[in-house]
Amino acid sequence: MLGEWWSWLRFFVAGKKRAELDEEIQFHLQRQTEANLAAQMSSAEAQRQAAIAFGGQERAREECRAQRPSFALESVGRDLRYGLRGLWRNPGFSLVAVLTLGLAIGANATIFSLIDQALMRALPVRDPAQLVVLSFAGSSTGHVHSEGGSSPGHRHEFSYPMYRDLRQRNTVLSGLIAESLLTLGVTWNNHAESVPAEMVSGNYFSTLGVRPAAGRLFLDSDEAAPGANAVAVLSFDFWKTHFAEAPVVGKTLLVNGMPFTITGVAAPGFHSMVWEHAPDVFVPLSMEQVLTPEWPYLNDHIAYWIDVAGRLKPDVSLARAEASLNPLFFALRASEFTQLRDQSAKSKQEFVTKSHLNLEAGANGFSPLRGDVQMPLTIIMGMVLLVMGMAVVNLASLLLVRAASRTREFSLRYALGATGGQVLRQLLAEGMLLGLAGAALGLAIAPEALHLLIHWMSRNAPGEMPFAATLDWRVLGFTLVVTVLASLLFSLAPALQFRNPRLAESIKQQVGTAAGGSLKFRRTCVVLQVGFSLLLMVAAGLFVRTIDNLRRVDTGFATDHLLAFDLNPALAGYPADGVVPVEQRALDAVNALPGVRAVGATNDTDLAGDDVQGDMVPAGYAAKPDEQFDVELPWVSDGYLQTLGVPLVAGRYFNPGDTATSQKVAIVNESFARHYFGSVQAALRHHVYRPNRPETEATIVGVVRDVKHSSVRDPALPTCYTLFSQAARRTQLTFYLRTWQPPDAATASVRAAIANLDPKLIVGNLQTMTDQIDANLLAERAVAMLAAAFGLLATLLAGIGLYGILAYSTAQRTREIGIRMALGARRGAVVGLILREVMLLAGGAMVVTIPLAMLATRAVRSQLFGVSLADPLVYGAGILMICVVAALAGVIPARRAATIDPARALRTD
Amino acid sequence: MAPSTDLLQGTLDMLILQTLAPGQEHGWAIAQRIQQMSNDVLQVGQGSLYPALHRLEYRGWIRAEWGASENNRRARFYSLTAAGRKQLDAELKNWERLTGAVNLVLQRA
Repeated sequence: MLGEWWSWLRFFVAGKKRAELDEEIQFHLQRQTEANLAAQMSSAEAQRQAAIAFGGQERAREECRAQRPSFALESVGRDLRYGLRGLWRNPGFSLVAVLTLGLAIGANATIFSLIDQALMRALPVRDPAQLVVLSFAGSSTGHVHSEGGSSPGHRHEFSYPMYRDLRQRNTVLSGLIAESLLTLGVTWNNHAESVPAEMVSGNYFSTLGVRPAAGRLFLDSDEAAPGANAVAVLSFDFWKTHFAEAPVVGKTLLVNGMPFTITGVAAPGFHSMVWEHAPDVFVPLSMEQVLTPEWPYLNDHIAYWIDVAGRLKPDVSLARAEASLNPLFFALRASEFTQLRDQSAKSKQEFVTKSHLNLEAGANGFSPLRGDVQMPLTIIMGMVLLVMGMAVVNLASLLLVRAASRTREFSLRYALGATGGQVLRQLLAEGMLLGLAGAALGLAIAPEALHLLIHWMSRNAPGEMPFAATLDWRVLGFTLVVTVLASLLFSLAPALQFRNPRLAESIKQQVGTAAGGSLKFRRTCVVLQVGFSLLLMVAAGLFVRTIDNLRRVDTGFATDHLLAFDLNPALAGYPADGVVPVEQRALDAVNALPGVRAVGATNDTDLAGDDVQGDMVPAGYAAKPDEQFDVELPWVSDGYLQTLGVPLVAGRYFNPGDTATSQKVAIVNESFARHYFGSVQAALRHHVYRPNRPETEATIVGVVRDVKHSSVRDPALPTCYTLFSQAARRTQLTFYLRTWQPPDAATASVRAAIANLDPKLIVGNLQTMTDQIDANLLAERAVAMLAAAFGLLATLLAGIGLYGILAYSTAQRTREIGIRMALGARRGAVVGLILREVMLLAGGAMVVTIPLAMLATRAVRSQLFGVSLADPLVYGAGILMICVVAALAGVIPARRAATIDPARALRTD
Repeated sequence: MAPSTDLLQGTLDMLILQTLAPGQEHGWAIAQRIQQMSNDVLQVGQGSLYPALHRLEYRGWIRAEWGASENNRRARFYSLTAAGRKQLDAELKNWERLTGAVNLVLQRA
């Protein structure tokens, strides 16, 4: 056995010499001749009979050669070298082919990389397959602070006592971790900045298996006592960019004005258990009271603010863990229920009986963003696959055109004894060469394209971009699979043409009318190209119109000349009672700036995807059973509504007369008024208050028009505006300035004004309202841009493909055209002949594709806005583009056809 | 287009190995031997022996070396290797089993 392998290998490396084989065959023939001579044949006859008995000599030599172990490899090598030479000699064709493939494969790799990072990549932690994400079904009364990603059956936010109990009393998880996102003001070297940060449990890093790059990470003891451990861990990127990797372990960092000790730095590459978070600083959950004293959530059973994940014990399955944890969860919920105010049977059912703990696989972390991003990414992936399809069809038709000039070559090979398999192998080898060259180009382009795309996306959302411009093995594998499949598909096209050529005709290089198989194939190519490009153009048109519509949405207030920034005095260490005064001073300081028309502030940033909701009950309102009272509850400054330009419908705006000590006032919007009071006028002078908090009772003094709040797409909710100066707690504020000049011009003076007030104050998120809206619409804008890019690419590819096919047609039909012209046809008619075939096919293709497009777009309806699925403008534009492209593609071949000299055409060999 | 010996490729190998069992031979002698011993029934082109010989040599079942033939001309002599002998035994057993089974079916059917 071993000897056989060794022998095989030996001969693989060093085969036999041809001369030896010849000698052997000669010896054989001589002996046979001698035997024949001995049998009384003449010498000529003896030799002839010997040769006959032997059989074909060359054949024997070839067969011997074919037995060599390395023969298969040699053949492929030969095919590749030959193919390479052929491609080298046709630089124009090769360039177009490789570029087409390169663009298509590059686009595929880029988009797949995004999908890979968003949906597939596991967290860079130890054994991500063991991670599970917790959520629960059941009502959550009280405070809910959500980052998103929750739905009624899957609430991801837990309370801290619940988390602690689950952690201590479960038997199936080797660790249960918790995190909550917040913004902190960090001061280092007298430089203050607001950074994204996470409050995490003590076992966060150890459970995930993250190692420190310096110092140590958190221990269980860091979470032991509330407010006791003022320690912080930095993220690697933050350490690199802000500290230049200087030694920081043991140094003091001011966090919200309080000193924290840096214990270490996390390993590079790790961000968070939540995919899209990139916190710069980690602090223990037990410091929550100290950092956000106005939200006393730590020991509150009905404050839901932390996301929870766990690591399964090695021999425990997900199902078993879920089954084991649910009785515990149920018991905990039951005991929590006894502390609720509402002890009705219905409330019990919703809180306890219907509660359920869900465990989901968490290898790629928890991600509120993932659900939003999934559909747009899938759509773009579909489009990019269509582009790939177009590239394949393009290449197939290009190769077919080239193959037409190689008929002689292949017929000769067949005549010399090549099998269909060998010719097929040659064509596949050439196809693979093109495919690999295209893949190399595509993979070279992809990181750059990714980089540009990510840069474009993060322009409006600084610091929040979870994508990186890298390609990992999954992307490479996908690219390889796509390349191989595509190469197979487009090389089979000419291969099918050459399966059974009619040898005699081909050797005579008869170029009469086109051969039957080739004609059908060309027609299929045209139809496919037109169909694909129309689909892509329609998609592009629909998405571009969507973004256009979204940008034009009437938000209810004037969005021009508006500059916004966040101010959170707590980050600079202001005590609770100092916040409102400094915010008032900030309002006055900014108002005094030249070029500022008006200033207002709110704690609920507009058009940022954020909500601050709660219950607001009108006094004496008879509630229907089960009615929810959730309304928007922004706390605003007295100039806010006027600054934004929200029209007043009844009553009055807030004015400086409404101070912290005067009667509490509220302004509601039309939806609120109509819902609770029936009409706008009826709302005035009624009282509203937060349930169970009579100190919040306020009088409605005005009604304003509805405005869009959390996003441009969502309709307005009932809203009740109250003054932040009259509120019970301090809060951070987003300031809005209406400027005379373009708002960007005011940024420097705003910063100066705030710095003048107090250099420790941190100005965050300084951007214009237009930028804010752009950031809010980022997904739609990205989809529209990519769709438009792919639509244009598709049109270009269609143009190239159509040109190729038309040129080929014209060349094939040179004789026919010559005959027609010799028989008296005018040049115009001849040109029309060429173009008509293609136009008819294109028209037919469009007719077939339009219903398909309508069906396909039905699937993406949720992403569209304000466009009907059969929008005539979009379809009309797409059809027009394709007609223009087809016409352009036909110009050169038509001219060539028109300038054919009949005499020469008839003489064409 | 396929040579007729393709169908008998396995059997041809076996015949060559069997022919070489007594001792070493050169290519022409092997062809003669097979033709004689089968009473001219097996009419394979003599040239198709050589691919088979080379294949067997690549597999390590026969060994080839140059030597002097009967009339002092240089010829390539083939002989069985130990692995080749084992392979021959195996193939003989397999052949007997196969033909025995076919015979059984033909007798009974």
